[in-house]
Amino acid sequence: MMEFFEANKDILLFTGAAAVKALAFLGAVMGFTALMTLAERKVSALMQDRVGPNRASVFGFAFNGLFQPIADAIKMILKEDFVPGRAEKLLFTLAPFFALVPVLALFAVIPFGDYVMVYGYQLELQIADLPLGLFFVLALSGLAIYGVFLGGWASKNNFALLGGLRGAAQMVSYEVVLGLTLVGLMMIYGSASLQDMVRAQGRLLFGFIPAWGVVCQPFAFILFLIASTAENKRTPFDLVEGESEIIGYFMEYSSMRFAAFMFAEFIEIVLISMLIATLFFGGWQVPYLYETGFMFPGGAELPLNHYLVSAMQVGSFTVKTVFFCWFSLIVRWTLPRFRFDQMMSLCWKALLPLALLNILLTGAAMTFLGKL
Amino acid sequence: MISVKKVNNKPLNLLEKIYLWEIARGLSVTIRHFFANLFNPGNILTVPYPEKTIPLPGNARFRTRHRLKVRSDGSPKCVACFMCQTACPAYCIRIEAAEYTENTVEKYPAVFDIDLSRCVMCGMCVEACPEDAIAMDTEELTGGALNRGELLMTKDGLLRNLPGEPSRKGAANRLANEYLKSRGEE
Amino acid sequence: MPTLTIDGKPVEVEKGTSILEAAQKLGVYIPRYCYHPKLSVSGNCRMCLVEVEKAPKLLTACSTEAAEGMVVRTVSDKVKAARRDVLEYLLINHPLDCPICDQAGECGLQNYYMDYSLAKSRFKNEDKVRRQKRRALGPHLVLDNERCILCTRCVRFCAEVTKTAELEVMGRGDHSHIDMKEGKALDNGYSLNIADICPVGAWTSRDFRFKQRVWFLKKTPTICLGCATGCLIEAHHNENTIYRTVPLPNPETNTWLCDHGRLAYKAVQGGDRLVKGVIKNGLIDFEPALREVAARIDEARGAGAVAVLGSPWLSIEDNAALARLAKDALKTENYCFDFASEQGIKDGILINKDPSPNANGLRLVKDAHGGISQAELSSRIAAGQIKVVLAEARAAGLIKDALKAAGTRLIVFAANKGEIPAATYATLPYASYFETPGTFVNYQGLRRRTTPPAEAPEGVKPLWAVVNKLAAYSGSSLRLDSAEDALKGIDLK
Repeated sequence: MMEFFEANKDILLFTGAAAVKALAFLGAVMGFTALMTLAERKVSALMQDRVGPNRASVFGFAFNGLFQPIADAIKMILKEDFVPGRAEKLLFTLAPFFALVPVLALFAVIPFGDYVMVYGYQLELQIADLPLGLFFVLALSGLAIYGVFLGGWASKNNFALLGGLRGAAQMVSYEVVLGLTLVGLMMIYGSASLQDMVRAQGRLLFGFIPAWGVVCQPFAFILFLIASTAENKRTPFDLVEGESEIIGYFMEYSSMRFAAFMFAEFIEIVLISMLIATLFFGGWQVPYLYETGFMFPGGAELPLNHYLVSAMQVGSFTVKTVFFCWFSLIVRWTLPRFRFDQMMSLCWKALLPLALLNILLTGAAMTFLGKL
Repeated sequence: MISVKKVNNKPLNLLEKIYLWEIARGLSVTIRHFFANLFNPGNILTVPYPEKTIPLPGNARFRTRHRLKVRSDGSPKCVACFMCQTACPAYCIRIEAAEYTENTVEKYPAVFDIDLSRCVMCGMCVEACPEDAIAMDTEELTGGALNRGELLMTKDGLLRNLPGEPSRKGAANRLANEYLKSRGEE
Repeated sequence: MPTLTIDGKPVEVEKGTSILEAAQKLGVYIPRYCYHPKLSVSGNCRMCLVEVEKAPKLLTACSTEAAEGMVVRTVSDKVKAARRDVLEYLLINHPLDCPICDQAGECGLQNYYMDYSLAKSRFKNEDKVRRQKRRALGPHLVLDNERCILCTRCVRFCAEVTKTAELEVMGRGDHSHIDMKEGKALDNGYSLNIADICPVGAWTSRDFRFKQRVWFLKKTPTICLGCATGCLIEAHHNENTIYRTVPLPNPETNTWLCDHGRLAYKAVQGGDRLVKGVIKNGLIDFEPALREVAARIDEARGAGAVAVLGSPWLSIEDNAALARLAKDALKTENYCFDFASEQGIKDGILINKDPSPNANGLRLVKDAHGGISQAELSSRIAAGQIKVVLAEARAAGLIKDALKAAGTRLIVFAANKGEIPAATYATLPYASYFETPGTFVNYQGLRRRTTPPAEAPEGVKPLWAVVNKLAAYSGSSLRLDSAEDALKGIDLK
């Protein structure tokens, strides 16, 4: 037994650490997502001079609506689990999983910190550092289309099918733009591993500007922001749901099946906020903070404990994620919906050429200015 | 024949065509509101009804919760003529008539229920009342309750006079007024 | 046969016809208070004033005989003005307590005011003459003299129809009012008709008092089952509750309705109504009661000791169902549908000598299905040949002496607890004829069918359906799916 353990120490440690990280990270993400469902309503309420949900209470303590997600969950579970008589039972049941699982899997490649030393063991603060992490992201987000389309098709409902068709067309189109905007980043940082890209963003340009993606690729940032919103099917690109017209692909879903779709959407917000933070805002990087402490451009130094540094890095990542989640909600409640043809021409006639142009310009700049 | 209306939308200029600047302007408005309300919730106009209500403006002519007016001897002015129940489009009034043994006006409501959860606040009952016995001027806005039972108003809950009453209007109340006068209660 | 012209239309009427009746024949409605087709003409309300050419003044249509060549105008300005003035006059002292008046909604003053007047009163509210309000007269009526317009319909009704003449107009001029003569009581058995014929709210029914507003009432024509006369009535009901019955005037039987028949509807609803089975003295659900009854019948059936007795209080359908039960399901000869009784109007108005409504209908059942005579049945019971008798409650009362002497087990069908005879073993409820249709033949041989205004209480079925179930428990099917099925084989003529 001990021999087996000794012989396979590395693998066992790696697997155990990965499992612990996955549980902790996904747990945190899930909890945060539950809060997002509340935040969606609270933020919109505040923007519209309202109060938002504040009634759900436990033993009379409402905490300004903090228990609302729990109340929602209880309500969702208690609703009738309805399957339309003519629906494709198998696909109808599978569709919510197709929506939820790829999104959850994507968190594997997000680095939420550098590393911590635990009993002399270097624990990477990332569930799995794939060398081609960025492609993994694109591949799995492509898979999420199935959830939308199968849900719409298996319902055997005209409006659901319409929503599913719109969703498929929209997500496939914006997937292209999404991929192309990231090419510039890969060119600059010379890697497709997200951890490598974050580490590369720790460098300084001209000695004092952090080499964050948004500085090196401002154009790509805007394109990515737009494309990712569309990929997430949120306003102004929420034609898939179009509450006021077609209801959308989940029209026939109820109870926890519907909750799975809704939850997937909110997890996607978190995921995309994390991706934006990782790719364009230095991920877990804090400006001028290195492994040993702060080193400011003027030469001043502030040595810090390793654990403090790690905590600050994880904190930095969290703050950035929360900010972009918030920004996503703000956008959702500010902009009206596009028309479908407008959305499609925006993608193919504006964003796609601009993304290609961005690659061209990046290549040209790298040729003339040299690599980062 | 479908009529066609031509809308002359102003063509967008370059800045507007790019969207981004306009989006930023829109975001600035919503973000301003968000932070204003986040740090100063007192400015939010929402009232946590039904725990808190705001006094209605003095010149408001709203129809508010019903009440049944009372004669000076404490009996309801209502004579159970069923006009309000007849006029009610929501079928929310239920009356059961009974007979006084000695009062000149003979008839009174033994039961007078208004189911506020059904009431549409149309005021037809007030219009229909020949006795000036029902009014919707309590300035209580109804509709907020945690169970349906709270919204069923019975006779006891409805009987209430406002300052300056009882009024002596109404056809059959002539008899009641005479009766009260004969007992020296006027 | 004089021919006259009313509003430009010629009409030929028999000699002695009044203008009002002639106009009615033409379909021209002339407003009236004191006129009633079955009472003598009084001509005191002045509401029916019409203009007749060559007559110097307006004439009362109800008391003026139609004459050859007469030219009558009922809608001229003069007539309209007269009607408006008459109404104003009648309303001078009217208390306007419509909100508490039961007549509101079917009131002559309200209707004619809306149709012919709409004028504002020129008299002060305070100057109205006050009279006695709310005075209980007789067992069924309330008199409010303030509302009275002195049309004297009630006085004439008591004098001419019941010939008891309890009422009279007392006092003169401004002091005239309706009052009861000394030493009389308004209990002539037809008194509730006064509430019907009173065109205003002066006479109201104590039974109906404040129960329901008349505009909520739905009206269903049906027949009265109080006696063999079989008067046509109209049941006024709302939300499955009957509030009153009024006569439906027809030339064959009745213009009026007796108080007994009028209040018969009360047995259908209220505490006396039987909605469950009774075994001995204990209430029990219908199904177990039915099983118990079926078991008792089966016990006695083998020895041929079961008897079925029809009832003149039941419809032809239900009697036929009972006959089928005896003949086809129980296979016994001991069944009797022989109820001979003396018939004919007892009091000269409506009430029949025979208190049961369907003795003539029973004859049809007897013709179709046969059966033994009542005397034969009684003797068989007395001889101890019969162990179980199945009967309707009131019919069982007719043979109760024989039953008591022999100690026979009695099973009855009853709609009311009060009908159940003493020493009854088991009782099954059935739907009364206010709740289910049934065919009856009155003393004149007129066949009439009830229209149910209400629904039977939950769990209570029509008698033919109960019989059908009983037959099923006894092991044979009568195939009775509707009341019509029971009528098969009966010659209704």
